Amino acid sequence: MQQAPLALSMILLTVIAYLAAARVYKRYSYPFLIPVLTSTTIIIIVLSVFHIPYESYMVGGQWISSLLGPSVVALAYPLYKQRRFLLDHLLPIGGGVLVGASSGMVSVALLAKAFGINHSLSMSLIPKSLTTPVAIEVAKGLGGNPSLAVVGVMIAGIFGAIVAPSIFKLLRVRSPLGRGIALGSASHAIGTSKAAEYGEVAFSMSSVTMALCAIIGSVLGPIVAWIFL
Amino acid sequence: MEQHIRKTLVIILQICILYVFSYIGNVIQIFFNLIIPGSIIGLLLLFICLCIKIIPVHWIETGAGFVLSILVLFFIPTTVDIMNYPSLLSFHGALFVLAIVVSTIISIAITGMAGQFFEKKAQKRKGDKECNKLHSHSP
Repeated sequence: MQQAPLALSMILLTVIAYLAAARVYKRYSYPFLIPVLTSTTIIIIVLSVFHIPYESYMVGGQWISSLLGPSVVALAYPLYKQRRFLLDHLLPIGGGVLVGASSGMVSVALLAKAFGINHSLSMSLIPKSLTTPVAIEVAKGLGGNPSLAVVGVMIAGIFGAIVAPSIFKLLRVRSPLGRGIALGSASHAIGTSKAAEYGEVAFSMSSVTMALCAIIGSVLGPIVAWIFL
Repeated sequence: MEQHIRKTLVIILQICILYVFSYIGNVIQIFFNLIIPGSIIGLLLLFICLCIKIIPVHWIETGAGFVLSILVLFFIPTTVDIMNYPSLLSFHGALFVLAIVVSTIISIAITGMAGQFFEKKAQKRKGDKECNKLHSHSP
């Protein structure tokens, strides 16, 4: 196939798979139907059926990936909108973000070492609690594999949102503030939508925490990798 | 119809602004050889520009809102690469998942308690301040 039609058809495939997946998820909001999972599965099936290698797919895919940078920059907007909230709760948010970002990264690094997980896989694990576009960047910077990093991020998000209520109950974490910070720092966007169930404060807290953890995590990731791995 | 075209143009133009910030961030990262990714530098720059009102928020809000609402689309191509790693469905893959699951539990537990602790500290501090104010006002 020639380059331009190939690129165009791969872009179309991705957009259609995404739109279909988003639509399905809107109707049936089960955690295992999140759009990234279903659309990726659809695309992999199509590529396997037509024997298209990943490299050929990326002739089109790279155009979509090139919007990852601007979408990370776009996180400045929700952070700016919440700046009052951030200033009002500077101590709990600042402290919580530091504890959250470092506990997530250090614990996963130590576990990877204890389990004897190989180097490239470990480097893909480190950014697992960051929001996906940032996790991709961090994994690339560390020499990990970006697609494995996305899988890690998804597991941390889905699993975190499922177990968080029991953990809060067990440890008597009742404040919406503490709950929001925990969910935003461990389970990023998926955790934040869970936090919305605990009310406005928990939701704002979680989204601010997620953005700040992305910033801090991108610096902390290489440091943690350097010290522990 | 005309409104639709207009909104689409606004979104495209605002995404270009975001792109410029991302590009500047990348240039800074390469120039100073920083560990922090270029797009994060771009995020910080945009946040600062919004705060000191160099860039009015309505220049980017439609585009940023749109990009964030379809964020998932942008990382699908990266995720598809997983087809080249069938090894994830092996013993090592299981350890990978286990490490994430255990770390997520630890992280939520520690951070939840820390957040609650910091909140109580902050409230106490606020309470003390208000007490002091009251005392200084009393004759």
